[in-house]
Amino acid sequence: MVECKTRDVDSIKRAAREALKLIDHSLHKVEKIVIKPNMCYYWDWSTGQTTDPLFVAALISLFREEISPDVKISIVESDASAMKCKYAFKYLGYEKLAKDCNVDLVNLSTVEAEKAAVRVADEVFEFMIPKIIREADLCVNAPKMKYMSFTKISAALKNIYGCNPYPKKFEYHSKLDKVIVALNKVMPFDLHVLDGLTVCGSKTLRLGLVMASQDPVAIDAVAAKIMGVNPKSVAHLMLAEKEGLGKTSFVIKGFDVDYFRKRFPKRSLSEKVITLGYTVACKLGLDKRLV
Amino acid sequence: MEKINLGVIGLGFIGKVHLRNCLNLKSVRVVAAADSSKKALNYARNFGVKQLFTDYNELLKLKDLDAVIIALPTHLHAECAIKAMEEGKHVFLEKPIARNVEEGRKIVSASKKNCVKFMVGYPSRFVPEFINLKNQMESGILGDIQLAYGVNIAAGPFFHRAESTIPRPVPEWWLNKQLTGGGVLVDLGCHMINLLRWYFGEVTDVKALLGYRFNFDFEDYATCIMNFEFGTSAVVNVGWFSQNTVVGVELFGTMSNARAYLSPSSKVVTAIKLLMGKTPKFFIPYLNEISHFVNYVKIDGNCENRLSGQDALRDLEIIAKAYKNQIE
Repeated sequence: MVECKTRDVDSIKRAAREALKLIDHSLHKVEKIVIKPNMCYYWDWSTGQTTDPLFVAALISLFREEISPDVKISIVESDASAMKCKYAFKYLGYEKLAKDCNVDLVNLSTVEAEKAAVRVADEVFEFMIPKIIREADLCVNAPKMKYMSFTKISAALKNIYGCNPYPKKFEYHSKLDKVIVALNKVMPFDLHVLDGLTVCGSKTLRLGLVMASQDPVAIDAVAAKIMGVNPKSVAHLMLAEKEGLGKTSFVIKGFDVDYFRKRFPKRSLSEKVITLGYTVACKLGLDKRLV
Repeated sequence: MEKINLGVIGLGFIGKVHLRNCLNLKSVRVVAAADSSKKALNYARNFGVKQLFTDYNELLKLKDLDAVIIALPTHLHAECAIKAMEEGKHVFLEKPIARNVEEGRKIVSASKKNCVKFMVGYPSRFVPEFINLKNQMESGILGDIQLAYGVNIAAGPFFHRAESTIPRPVPEWWLNKQLTGGGVLVDLGCHMINLLRWYFGEVTDVKALLGYRFNFDFEDYATCIMNFEFGTSAVVNVGWFSQNTVVGVELFGTMSNARAYLSPSSKVVTAIKLLMGKTPKFFIPYLNEISHFVNYVKIDGNCENRLSGQDALRDLEIIAKAYKNQIE
């Protein structure tokens, strides 16, 4: 874990480089890199809900310096129930980023994909796996850390849910935990670099955190601790560990968890109660009577 | 006329608000609803609306229908409103009246030609706090109002309604300038321009500064500077960039000043009230404007219509002028 106090490409790149060094991640020569930021709805980086394009720009610059200036980099995202990439790319600043950094912007819902089956616990899931992810030499996950009503937290594991090209993702909501784990099993990413520069908890705050790991379960367990959530209470995290995706036990290098945990805008008890009430109301179908 | 028979055309967010408000009005019988989405029609069915149509033309043919509420995307306003008027229905049309002045003029002309009552929905004129400001101004307690400030900042089309388990996408027409007629100046600017015209009379001069934070071909924030016929000058700020809605007006007079900012409703309280079938605070201005429309329709002959089509058309003319007189 590294602290990055200013929001500019050079500072973020320095922090990311340091974070990779702390986890002994060496960047080997590769030809194709895929970066998956977190895009959701149409909330830009300033809300803490989506990965900052400057964060991705810093990663691109780092990879070009460390690997090769000619490495082919694609930024990927897929359409979702309430989000269309054609608008999100523009609105969230990724169209400009792609132009400035000369990288491809790829809507995974519109590219070639192959069917793959994966078993999680007692269930087999089938997904279309985008060829661009399968053929990439290095898959980099650039998630955010935030609360989510159905999964408690959203970080590295949940961000890979967005690599599923099928747009009607709400259909998975009844078995979200299993689907998140299944997608991570069928599309394992090599590296997870979390954008905790601006975070959204009970409010939005500049936290200045850059965190990296090769283990999506460990990075999520740390993110959960920072957010004041017991990792053992996060169902998809425990299931991911059981399925061999990583370990919830971790060794921290760099800054301490407490340093960021103390500053993270955690949810109050009343907010937790409201979220719980909302989740229960939705499960009872009462939300259909709202406007 | 004891009760009026009403149809709701368009069951998006505002259409649903109108539907639920109408169900709470004793002088209204909601006899039909139309929407291209069957899911939206199911919503109306759940509230007891019997006649449901995926094509509004079918609804307009209903003989026992007195009036319609049209809450369709802006590009469909002119066609639908004119057809309704030609069928002899009184029309309540959501703001903005149309996507451009030409279409607006056609609607106003059709209402006159077919002798139907026509009102455009501007809930700001029915907000108790804004009515109170007007009363203060008219009582003379503020003196002569020299300067005014209006603000309406929201998330606009970038807002995701997350009340449901199934996320709802932003309607794509809202991101298409050809279908909306413009950006935030048309969508939110018209509210403020309309309200300030109610306070200060006609706009004599307007200039606008437009901003494009989110890289679209329509403005997502704007500042408008206006002069009014009796000497008041006003600045209006509107924006589609914030998750935190702010709607307010400040008046600065020679004797005193006054302000009214709408306090946001609690989402939890709103949800509970909706589930209990009660009217949440957010719905009240909409309820008041529909009540006003219903009374206007029920009373024979001319009576006060706080929001005529001509009025709404004038707002659009001012917006067109603001687009033309941009501050570089």
